[in-house]
Amino acid sequence: MIWHIAKRELSNNLNSLRFALATVLLLGLMLTNAVVHLREHPERVQRYRERVSEHQNHIAAHASNSLYDLAQEGPGYLYKKPSDLRFCAEGSETFMSDRAQAGYHRWSTGTLKSFWILAYPSATPNRDNVRPDVTKVDWGFIIGYVLSLVALLFTFDSISGERERGTLRLTLSNAIPRHTVLIGKFLGAFISVSIPFILATLVNLLVISTSSAVHLDAEAWGRLGIIFFVAVLYTCLFLALGMLVSARVQRSAVSLVMLLLVWVVFVVFMPSTLASIAGKFTPSGPTYDFSERSWKLHDELSNDYYSRHYKEPEGSTKRIEIDGEYVTKDAEQQEQLHKARLNLRISEVNRARTITRISPVTIVQNLLESFAGTGFERHLQFLENVQTYVREFRTFIVDTDSADPESLHIFGVREGMSQKPVNSDAVPKFEDTLNLSRDFNTAAMELLLLTLCVLVLLSGAYLAFVRVEV
Amino acid sequence: MITTLIGRELLNNLMTFRFAAAVFITLLLVVANTVVLIEDYEQRLESYNASVKTHHQEIREKQTYSAGEVEVDRPPNPLSIFNVGLDKRLGNEVWISHNYVPTLWEARMNASDNPYLNILSSIDIVFIFEVVLSLMALLFAYDALAGEREHGTLRLVLTHPIRRGHILLAKYISAMLCLLVPLLLSLLFAMILLTATTSISLGADDFLRIGGVVLTSIAYLSVFYLIGLLISAVTQRTGTALMLAMFVWGALVLVYPNLILAAIRSSDIPQAKAVSAFNQIKQVWDEFDRERKQYLATDDFPGEDPTFNIDGIGFFYEYFPKDPLTLLYFYYSMMTFGELDEKFEREVPHAQNYFQFLIPSTIKAAERAWLIRKQALEDTLVRKSNMKRTLLKLSPVGMYDTATQAWAGTDLKGVRDFFDAVRQYRQTLIDYLDSKNAFASRKWFAADEGAVDWSTLPAFSFKKSGVETNAKRALPDLLLLLMLSVSLFMLISLVFIKSEV
Repeated sequence: MIWHIAKRELSNNLNSLRFALATVLLLGLMLTNAVVHLREHPERVQRYRERVSEHQNHIAAHASNSLYDLAQEGPGYLYKKPSDLRFCAEGSETFMSDRAQAGYHRWSTGTLKSFWILAYPSATPNRDNVRPDVTKVDWGFIIGYVLSLVALLFTFDSISGERERGTLRLTLSNAIPRHTVLIGKFLGAFISVSIPFILATLVNLLVISTSSAVHLDAEAWGRLGIIFFVAVLYTCLFLALGMLVSARVQRSAVSLVMLLLVWVVFVVFMPSTLASIAGKFTPSGPTYDFSERSWKLHDELSNDYYSRHYKEPEGSTKRIEIDGEYVTKDAEQQEQLHKARLNLRISEVNRARTITRISPVTIVQNLLESFAGTGFERHLQFLENVQTYVREFRTFIVDTDSADPESLHIFGVREGMSQKPVNSDAVPKFEDTLNLSRDFNTAAMELLLLTLCVLVLLSGAYLAFVRVEV
Repeated sequence: MITTLIGRELLNNLMTFRFAAAVFITLLLVVANTVVLIEDYEQRLESYNASVKTHHQEIREKQTYSAGEVEVDRPPNPLSIFNVGLDKRLGNEVWISHNYVPTLWEARMNASDNPYLNILSSIDIVFIFEVVLSLMALLFAYDALAGEREHGTLRLVLTHPIRRGHILLAKYISAMLCLLVPLLLSLLFAMILLTATTSISLGADDFLRIGGVVLTSIAYLSVFYLIGLLISAVTQRTGTALMLAMFVWGALVLVYPNLILAAIRSSDIPQAKAVSAFNQIKQVWDEFDRERKQYLATDDFPGEDPTFNIDGIGFFYEYFPKDPLTLLYFYYSMMTFGELDEKFEREVPHAQNYFQFLIPSTIKAAERAWLIRKQALEDTLVRKSNMKRTLLKLSPVGMYDTATQAWAGTDLKGVRDFFDAVRQYRQTLIDYLDSKNAFASRKWFAADEGAVDWSTLPAFSFKKSGVETNAKRALPDLLLLLMLSVSLFMLISLVFIKSEV
């Protein structure tokens, strides 16, 4: 019986204007998405490869000079590997830097050079900012905004429309339990929304996978499967919402107005308003404060250094030791300062992101980002990779230096360290990796939240429909 | 007769759920967001003030003329509450020095410092109107004709001796009156909140600009109402009209602006034009560098050392900062010593002569490089973004956004006004240094005979362009919206007059 109702619903929908329009809209969007991705992604990958080889050349050049040179210069810029699934969610990717600077130098005097520190540059801000501000057409946009609107447009009259026409009374006069009718209708609407979406998705993936420029491996397909599942869950959320309102409201027009308002508030405005409110809570302090603190720390250290440095005779080991202590301690302090600022910023964003989760569209976009390997979570993963690599690199320097018997083992000064060239193959290189299991851990909570919302709305629709008079 | 019709329509519209919902939702969104936006503005103003104070202090602490780089700040625009435009996205702090000509691409951010917060979207009042009012206008319009046709009341009305055009006009006027209620009411609340905030002082000019925003909003509303009316006139059933209206809304407001910008190629790879301009600029500086080296080689001082062996507590920098993407290339040098040892006294005249030669020739090279760079930036970065803006205008949303940005002064032109002022101030700084004969002075690099007194340096001030400039920039798009309204109305009359009831 459920299938009977679902089939009737389906055939009603398939012949309707909204089905045709939804198909055209989704197909057009998905096709654009695929074409844009095919155009931009090979360039992006190419650029990443060039940069990685640049990084390796940088290391090789300094390694062939001397260990001191390598230790002073650092590994240079470390780049974030572009995700193959960027077409699924790239919304926030443009606002985040694609690199970390493991070779930030601040000063040099006649005899001393500052050691490198790990700095976190922000995305190049101004160059493209003059262009108009819009969201990217990625799956996140298509699913989050367009698909949810389509889902509401398919369900707003599913019950109230039948009641208006009187067919609901007719259906219920048969010996069918109400929940069967509801489930049948839900299935019908679900299938009719799924058809254009699946069609559009297939076309999108077909275009992307047939191109030789972009390669998707088995893991990527697995991720795409999960993303598709999230999209289905999200669609169900809006279908359930549509049915809930449709069951409670007498007239279809009123039902649509209500649904549209709810949609506008939750999908369009909620994320931005909540984000701006959340952004207010703890500002991380403007730059001048940071640079002031940085200079102050440096000044204190250098005053102390100069007072001790000139007391020792020129060329003595003691003087080299003082020099080395100054350089290494300065680098340590400054790096800690940078890291503290980064952590402050991250915790601020995390707080804001937690609050914006009230809106389902943010949940979906977060989920899509974590499975597509883009977005904030991925950025954090990248930063973690960078920090691990930096530790590895420093350990390598220490080990190589201690293996050289001629070295004084005083870090920070040319005279105190090994002067021999290093075999560049032995130097650890940075390789950015993506890790799915970690993504799943962070996403599980959001997935649960989304499922919960769907269940609540579905049972709400059921209760509303069971009690309603026809 | 037409007044009777208007009265009837007005009553029909006012007593509906959608009217109540429209008023409620716009009020809620506008008031809630205005509070947040005002707070955001206050925070930006606070950090602007703090930053101005720091920079003011900083320049006074500079001991030598060569260290005298002035940093100036762009004040936040209070009208960014209406349309934030580029106000928050472009840099608001730029350093001015004799050796390069600043553009907005060199500007940095002083406030809202957490760059990761950009991943969260932001909002303004115009955006609320853009989304909600267009939706409302379509919801008011979709059944205006199709509904009456379905109910049969249209036939009834037409049995009276009324011209069909009058019916349309009555419907249009009454619906616009109804739609103005949420618009004006929410704006009223926003204005009350704005004027109650002490940190925001709006002048007469600002009120005129806000008036311009309101006018543009009304034109935008009218376009969307007429689009809905057109749909209603061509369709037979309200259900169809509603579906069509919703998809048209989705396409115009949601899909088109994003789609068109995604489809337009925005590549990071510099175009041939930019590359050749960069090479030209490089040549200018190479030539400068040759002259400089030649001077050093031929002057009385042996060797080519630009520090003339002078050393002490202080610093010496010299390098060519470059960025091929924004075509930035210049010669940066700074030599500043707090104390000078007696033993360097012989070298000081050499250095003085050198700087007397070097600085004017740096300024000259910077000006020459700027002429090339200005044109190339215009051709590559600005034109590309302008083309995108033009394409956006194929949707009324694009016109509305551009016009309101122009009124608020947060568009590209408005922000560039600031950078024009900055470039002018750079000239003031150079003239000031020149009048103090700073390039040839010992104080250019050494503060041993006392630090430089910066108190007579004229302060930087930026005055927003007058309201007539805003109007001039906004009127094309406002006129486009109005013309679109008129032509849509004519189209509807044609369709409606010919249609059977």
